[in-house]
Amino acid sequence: MSIATTAGAPSRSAPSTLSAMLRPLLGLRIVLPFAAVVAIWWAIKWFWQLDDRVLASPAQVATAAIQLANRGILADYAATSLRMMGIAALISALIGVPLGFAIGANRIVARALEGTLRFLQGISGVAWLPLAIIWFGFSDTTKLTVVIYTLVVPIIVNTIVGVRAIPENYVLALQSLGASRLRIMWDVYLPGALPSIVVGLRLGMGYGWRALIAAEMLVRRGGLGDLIFGARTFSQIDRIMVGMVLIGTLYIIVDRLLVQPVETMTLARWGVLRK
Amino acid sequence: MRPPRSAARLRLDRLVWRLLPFSPILIFGAAWSIYWNIAHPPLAVMPSISGMLGAVVELAQSGTLLTDILASLWRLMLGALLGIVMGVMAGFVTGLNKPVATFLNPLLVFFNAISGIVWLPLMIGWVGIGTGLAVFLIWNSVFFIVFQNTVLGVQLVPEVLEQSVRTLGAGRWETIRSVTFPGALPYILNGVRSGLGFGWRALIAAELVGATTGLGQMIFRAADFSRTDIIVAGCLIIGVIAMAMDRWLLLPIERRTVQRWGMVARSEGGPGEGRRA
Repeated sequence: MSIATTAGAPSRSAPSTLSAMLRPLLGLRIVLPFAAVVAIWWAIKWFWQLDDRVLASPAQVATAAIQLANRGILADYAATSLRMMGIAALISALIGVPLGFAIGANRIVARALEGTLRFLQGISGVAWLPLAIIWFGFSDTTKLTVVIYTLVVPIIVNTIVGVRAIPENYVLALQSLGASRLRIMWDVYLPGALPSIVVGLRLGMGYGWRALIAAEMLVRRGGLGDLIFGARTFSQIDRIMVGMVLIGTLYIIVDRLLVQPVETMTLARWGVLRK
Repeated sequence: MRPPRSAARLRLDRLVWRLLPFSPILIFGAAWSIYWNIAHPPLAVMPSISGMLGAVVELAQSGTLLTDILASLWRLMLGALLGIVMGVMAGFVTGLNKPVATFLNPLLVFFNAISGIVWLPLMIGWVGIGTGLAVFLIWNSVFFIVFQNTVLGVQLVPEVLEQSVRTLGAGRWETIRSVTFPGALPYILNGVRSGLGFGWRALIAAELVGATTGLGQMIFRAADFSRTDIIVAGCLIIGVIAMAMDRWLLLPIERRTVQRWGMVARSEGGPGEGRRA
């Protein structure tokens, strides 16, 4: 399979005793680098006396963040984006996983669909945005279509990889005991491929989150992409930067606190199959 | 035991097998033309297949297609090259210095999370619309992924291997050149590959709003005139280029290097080997 299966941020969990020992230090270890960046940022702003329409100071960005948060705008825009992402992830998994099972388990289906899949992977979801806007208007459907399209391909591809990694004996064993095809899917393919599926989901979220931001910039119906692109019109750099920080933070929260634990969990629980 | 098949039957089987990958295109194309011939949707909604092919010919003959493709590829090359070179260099410096790596890691995670299209509104103000903007967004996407993967790769090279070369009298440079670099290469290439994936997407997204030429701009402009034939043609061309790049550029490089140095990469999977934890 010619497709990269690791997300941009592959990381290994440290031994638990070590991380327990380092936990008090962890806060400082995260805060310090960002403090350094903020200091440099402030120094640049101050040294060249940059206009607010070119670069906002950290203080201005903080003020704008508080202002936007107090008026509920920030929560509203963030919720719109997160909801879209959640719905898209769910639908993509429901479409992608069964399709991945079919391709991974069946030689003929694989031969028929794999080439097309690889081709579609090269056309980014955002490229379909103009057509989606013509068909569905400036609506949530447009955004969802683009994000689902973006998410579903990595999920399918990684499901295939996962299914192919399962030793055939497991399938044969269940088959000889009289298990139905559905039963095999549920008891062998799903647990066996789950770690790989989650990897696909993670990679897909990386692409999908960006596709969503891009779609929101063009569709302009709420969402964080709309927030930063709208602020652009009035050169509200402080708002743009608030949006950027929020986009990054939310992505890290979803990726590290939601998806990665699932990945670790599935690996620990069913990783045996992937030797 | 199955009855032996006749030669004709075998030949047919082989033909079907060879044509199978094209079946989705054929089925989709057939469904598309049947629908189009029954419903006759206006061009502003859906093109016919012949209309779309006509658009490709029309664009190719007027020369704009070539201009747009070259503009996109040039940006991709510039941004990706900058991103890869800087990412690998920074990755090595960081990966070889444990304290630096620990310090930079949270920043890497954060800036990787906002890489690419997220910078668009800010960068439009700073560098304006055009090649610079697209190159920055691609560089940004590629750099952080390559950086992160290089650091990981460098850190995962078993220390024993490096030490043994050192014991044999190799200097720091020699060790990096002959042990660390090949050892980290599979990870670096993995980073390059996902980086190009993100970069290609960022490019199209950037060109939609932030350029006057390029494939993304071509389809976005077409949307203004409701030329769905150009939009669909553009999407297909984007897919063909991406597939060509993957097959003739990335796959050979990866195959050659991973095959050559894959041994080092494989030893990474062994339990409890000399990792710099």
